[in-house]
Amino acid sequence: MIFGRTNKIWQSSSWIIALALLAPVLVMLASSIGHSGDTFSHLWQTVLPTYISNTIWLTFGVVALSLLFGVPAALLVSQTNLYSAKVLRWALLLPLAMPGYLVAYLYTDLFDYAGPVQRLLRELFGWQSPSDYWFFDIRTLSGATVILALVLFPYVYMLGRTALEQQDKSLLRAGRTLGLTARQSLIKIALPLARPAIMVAASLVMMETIADFATVQYFAVNTLTTAIYDTWLGYSDMAAANALASVLLLFVLFAVVAEQKSRAGQRHQSVRPNTSNDKLVLTRMQQLLAVSFCWVLVVLGFVLPFVLLAIMAIDYAQIDQLAKLGEIGLATIEVSAYAATIAVVISLTLALLNRFYPVRINSLPLQISGFGYAVPGTVLAMALMASFGPLDHWLNDIAVAINIEKPGLILSGTTFAIIFAFVVRFAAIANGTVNSGIAKIPHSIDKAPASLGIGLLSTIRQVHLPLLKSSILVAWLLVFVEAMKELPAVLLLRPFNFETLSTFIYQLISDEQLEQGAIGAIFIVLFGLIPIVWLNKDNQSS
Amino acid sequence: MIKKIIGISALIATSFSTFASEVNVYSYRQAFLVEPLFNEFTKQTGVKVNVVFAKKGMAERLEREGEHSPADVLLTTDISRLIELQEKSLLQPVNSAVLEQAIPSQFQADDNTWFGLTTRVRNIYSAKRLGNVDINYEDLADVKYKGKICTRSGKHPYNVALVSSMIAEHGEAKTLEWLKGVKANLARKPQGNDRGQVQAIHQGLCDVSLGNSYYFGKMINNDKQKVWADGVNINFPNQANRGAHVNISGVGVAKYAPNKSSAIALIEFLASEQAQQMYAETNMEYPVRAGVKKSELVASWGEFKSDALPLETIAKHRKTALKLLDQAQFDL
Amino acid sequence: MSHVLAVNQLDVTLDNQSILNNISFSLSRGEILGLVGPSGCGKTTLLNTIAGFIAQQSGEIIIDGTSIDATNLLAPEKRHVGMIFQDYALFPHLTVRQNIAFGLKSLTKEQRIIRVDDLLALLKLEDYSERFPHQLSGGQQQRVAIARAIAPQPKLLLLDEPFSNIDARLRQALMLELRQLLKSLDMTAIFVTHNKDEVFTFADKMAVMSAGTILQFGSPSMLCQQPNSYQVADFLQLGSWLPCKVVEGQLITCISQFEISLPLERSQSSALLVKPQHLSIEANTNSKLCVSNISVTEQGFHYLLTSENDQDDLAIHQLSVYSEQVFTLGDKVAVEIKPHDYLIFATP
Repeated sequence: MIFGRTNKIWQSSSWIIALALLAPVLVMLASSIGHSGDTFSHLWQTVLPTYISNTIWLTFGVVALSLLFGVPAALLVSQTNLYSAKVLRWALLLPLAMPGYLVAYLYTDLFDYAGPVQRLLRELFGWQSPSDYWFFDIRTLSGATVILALVLFPYVYMLGRTALEQQDKSLLRAGRTLGLTARQSLIKIALPLARPAIMVAASLVMMETIADFATVQYFAVNTLTTAIYDTWLGYSDMAAANALASVLLLFVLFAVVAEQKSRAGQRHQSVRPNTSNDKLVLTRMQQLLAVSFCWVLVVLGFVLPFVLLAIMAIDYAQIDQLAKLGEIGLATIEVSAYAATIAVVISLTLALLNRFYPVRINSLPLQISGFGYAVPGTVLAMALMASFGPLDHWLNDIAVAINIEKPGLILSGTTFAIIFAFVVRFAAIANGTVNSGIAKIPHSIDKAPASLGIGLLSTIRQVHLPLLKSSILVAWLLVFVEAMKELPAVLLLRPFNFETLSTFIYQLISDEQLEQGAIGAIFIVLFGLIPIVWLNKDNQSS
Repeated sequence: MIKKIIGISALIATSFSTFASEVNVYSYRQAFLVEPLFNEFTKQTGVKVNVVFAKKGMAERLEREGEHSPADVLLTTDISRLIELQEKSLLQPVNSAVLEQAIPSQFQADDNTWFGLTTRVRNIYSAKRLGNVDINYEDLADVKYKGKICTRSGKHPYNVALVSSMIAEHGEAKTLEWLKGVKANLARKPQGNDRGQVQAIHQGLCDVSLGNSYYFGKMINNDKQKVWADGVNINFPNQANRGAHVNISGVGVAKYAPNKSSAIALIEFLASEQAQQMYAETNMEYPVRAGVKKSELVASWGEFKSDALPLETIAKHRKTALKLLDQAQFDL
Repeated sequence: MSHVLAVNQLDVTLDNQSILNNISFSLSRGEILGLVGPSGCGKTTLLNTIAGFIAQQSGEIIIDGTSIDATNLLAPEKRHVGMIFQDYALFPHLTVRQNIAFGLKSLTKEQRIIRVDDLLALLKLEDYSERFPHQLSGGQQQRVAIARAIAPQPKLLLLDEPFSNIDARLRQALMLELRQLLKSLDMTAIFVTHNKDEVFTFADKMAVMSAGTILQFGSPSMLCQQPNSYQVADFLQLGSWLPCKVVEGQLITCISQFEISLPLERSQSSALLVKPQHLSIEANTNSKLCVSNISVTEQGFHYLLTSENDQDDLAIHQLSVYSEQVFTLGDKVAVEIKPHDYLIFATP
């Protein structure tokens, strides 16, 4: 302990924040207790086993494919003389800007039997019916797996590449002097050392996959999330729906624990990042394969869907729609910015508490506040309503009791609920980014200002915050973009006449009219590009 | 100048009525589909209409909000949702002579908590290449359609309602049998929406699909989708027996509606001849109000016989329908 | 005796900047070379070039008969050169045993176990074989790094500032221990340091580098006796500098003027290297030198003397003198230079 006993105010506010963020999850767990079991056993006897196996296969497949895409890409970009590596460095991050449901919609549309690709093939070869030829079926588990991996692999790539670039180059050199070839030392030293970071990324991918509903829906793939919706909307059995959501949370808990376990081994920190020029030299053939591998990922994950959107936007552009879109865009930016700011402030509060008073009890707020990431947006929205509803009633009752005007639904019926949902859902991202930034600050720096007679808060303000500037910015931008993309929670929690770009596009997609909203979709994507450009800039300068 | 005019008209509007100046709508329908109607309402009354749209969870939201809910009007696209709201006591009875007169009694709740506004038929679309077909829902399980049927998810409220009507007609066991038969005939697993199935027929993937009536009209009016619609015939099933399955879109006043009078006014407007005409023209739905002309296009599909099954019965069998769909593993 | 390592006219340029310039030297089997020089002089680059991590632009490196030149660069792993890194670069994900065994893949399993056990014993690491690097002290980590580097029996061992992370008190003992170990293995080694005392303790040969070149190469005693330049003498801190002029065979400093036999006639400024043992002092109120700093040594006192008038060309800024006599700060003292082989260098 560096600064003696924990500051009580700081500690208790951290706990309050963490518990507030955990509350919806707890409410969900609590509401699952009362379920009768009828719905459950019916589902178990009919579709649930398939749903569960779909969920497992989907998660497993998406994680495996993301690793298969992301790890080689990270290795190639950071450790070899890959042609066009300068562009690929950031281009490989572009798919992050694409909301999954959008890519899913575009791809199912494109590769469907009735889609343009198969139509063209039929025209070219004169095929008449599906029995005349074989074409992969996009609306399958495998189709969903590939597309989800295409938009999620950048997490693996990004964290993997950063880890590889920050490795101490003398470790690789030590491998060389001990008889390993350059390639062998990448595989035997660099990769095992980057494993914790890659595991973190894999667990992010896993959580995103588990919580996903909108995307798999387009692929007609039923997962545990489908079962949650069925039990809740179809059978009106909220308790059973919550029980299923709790099962889902178990999956996630597993991912979180696995991630933290792997982080425990991550003690080696390099003081001298690997900026050397001893990069692996690829042969011409290898170069060709590597370059096409990376660019195919960029094209499939970003360029192609973006071009499809752009074509739609040009074909169906309506000038009068722009004003409305601008208005919606501003509202989206506003709520997303609030959410990002709050999430970052919270993550700083929690992570710095843990840093300055590193006892176990102070690490818990940081951990539990991130659970919301794995809760599907709609389930989260339901839980929030269940939490805020009674609170609102209570507030109104108080207002009546003390004879002032009833405030109405100030929590559940306003954008407050949306912002809160964003924070709960994306706190994990902010926490992770800020915390890893803090971990990079040498511990001696914590003590130095104290030795100069400067208090803790001033130390944080004058030393830690400036040092964390880039982490804070990255965390802010990541949350901001995720919030802009988030759909189901907003859909359910929003007040009257409130639209975000996502809900606007969703309305149109749900009526098969994405064309009309293509410009809005492009807005989301363009905003999603901002943090990517920034991440890249940040990496280049360091 | 313009401001002045608005000010004056607002003044007039308020002086002629006791309406609150706004009314809040929770809508299961996409806002842009109903916006023209609301705009017309605002134009006539000066009452602003606020809308929030969500396909899922509106009932839960209303329930949680309880007496503080700002919602005045609930707008749904399916009878089951209306009954759900009714059963959860989230609606209040409305005694309006205007509505009683405008809406036929089979499209109203017995306790006046909800009112149907339009009806839509669950049609069977068939490829033009099949020629004229006389088809019943029961025929979809016939082996002669093996590999020829397309549909959206069985769990979609439109399909669930159809399955409910089958249960009402044939009982659970036979309906399950039927579902398994239909499932076995599917050209591909259930996916997409009603228009997507017509597109699939157009592309030759299948010959027959289930779809609501108004989509046919909407596709014909859509540049891109017109070719799809041109490839199919719209069929009204079971004309020789009980009639085609019909669902309604409807509306109700929230139990704790803060602007009740405006809410009723809005519903009365939606049931008015003008609004019903707009429903018919722009949304290609069948107006519930007697005497309102269908759109020319809709009228061209001809008269048909609809299933006389009470709407409440359909809603009653909803959960059973879902269970049967699960048992048949219809969507898997 | 054949050379294990020979470096001939080696040039290295990085980012258009010449880092190493015309480096040549050679080492016989079992010799330990200490490479010293100020920060940035290129000593670590030289080490990395020999190891194969940096490519030379021209010149030749011959390791045990294998010639490596710019057209024929040999991959690091084929050079049979072991390396101990400044922060040891132990693989954090492997145990001590796994770290040591890392370079032994050509051996059979049994041979490997025997070799690792031998090294664990040799370096007194038996008790730590299953620990991970972060569970070891700095000294233990260094021993693991040594064991790992010598395990594959390299032809040449390179050590990059191997003692910089070691507690000063332990350093001397460790250096002797490691030197004995290397000698017993007849291992040829080059180590880099910025601390000349380490070289005197550890090395057989030493090379002083500055700005990419080797200023002087030879045995430590030779370099101490006969530094070939101001920089070498200055870096090795062989004594104090007495600004001087040579005028017509006369060496003029601010304390004395005497004849020297050197045929020197320099226009640029020069300095006379005076080692403490060649100086004696006594109190003299007429002297222009006064005591500016006093520190205690085991044998007496260490005085720093400064000219009163520091504007003079020949003014002395810090003259280091050891004496058992007691002076106090500000005392005026006279210094006498005992006759010896005078070393005069042009000052840079």
